[in-house]
Amino acid sequence: MSSGSMGGGFRGGAPRQGGRGAGDRGGAGGAGRGNNKDAGKRYFFRRRKVCKFCVDKIDYIDYKDTKLLGGFVPERGKILPRRMFGTCAEHQRKLTLAIKRARLIALLPFAAE
Amino acid sequence: MSDRVYEILFIVDPNLGEPEVDALAAQIQGYVEKEGGRIQKVEKWGKKRLAYPVRKHREGSYVLIVAEGTGEIIKEIERRIRVTDGVVRYLSVRVDEDLRKAETSKRKRASEDEKKRARMATRPPRPSAVEEVQE
Repeated sequence: MSSGSMGGGFRGGAPRQGGRGAGDRGGAGGAGRGNNKDAGKRYFFRRRKVCKFCVDKIDYIDYKDTKLLGGFVPERGKILPRRMFGTCAEHQRKLTLAIKRARLIALLPFAAE
Repeated sequence: MSDRVYEILFIVDPNLGEPEVDALAAQIQGYVEKEGGRIQKVEKWGKKRLAYPVRKHREGSYVLIVAEGTGEIIKEIERRIRVTDGVVRYLSVRVDEDLRKAETSKRKRASEDEKKRARMATRPPRPSAVEEVQE
């Protein structure tokens, strides 16, 4: 998957209009309609992202769990907006706090070196 | 006021050997006990690479102490840790409330699942399924 080729999302290279469903996983699903003229305009169907913490039933996001947090922090060390991972509001809030705590104790970087 | 649970995580100078780290951990446990707190757990994570240099160190030994006590004693323990040589960085976090909330939502979910399962069991078979059987 070529990343960002259409000026879209973080990893998926999703067309911006994809909005809601633009995904970082799920690749380019479906919608390969025959009509070539339309193909450019038509947006792809993307699987709706669901909050990983809701799915895995994680109630307490531990700041000590670097393995878990690391998956939500890119190389640069930034905290990404909700739309990137599809986390729900509640879990994004908890995730943010956990990442910030982990940063204080040098488990995660503040910024890339 | 009831007691609270705190996690005190600190990083020890990587130049200190294993026994010195143990001694330091014991020393800080001593602070907790002296203030009237109770130790729940002590965990040594060993040497880990730090995500960024802290006081010119690129790695450090992590030690986690989970203690029970009032907020007042944490204040005193933190002050003591600050003046303790060999501790590069520390972080104390109150965890009891968050853990309790997590526990409650877990229990709630479990009981909801239970109810759902009970509902499914008592529900009559769907008409479509019946039709299939007839064919």
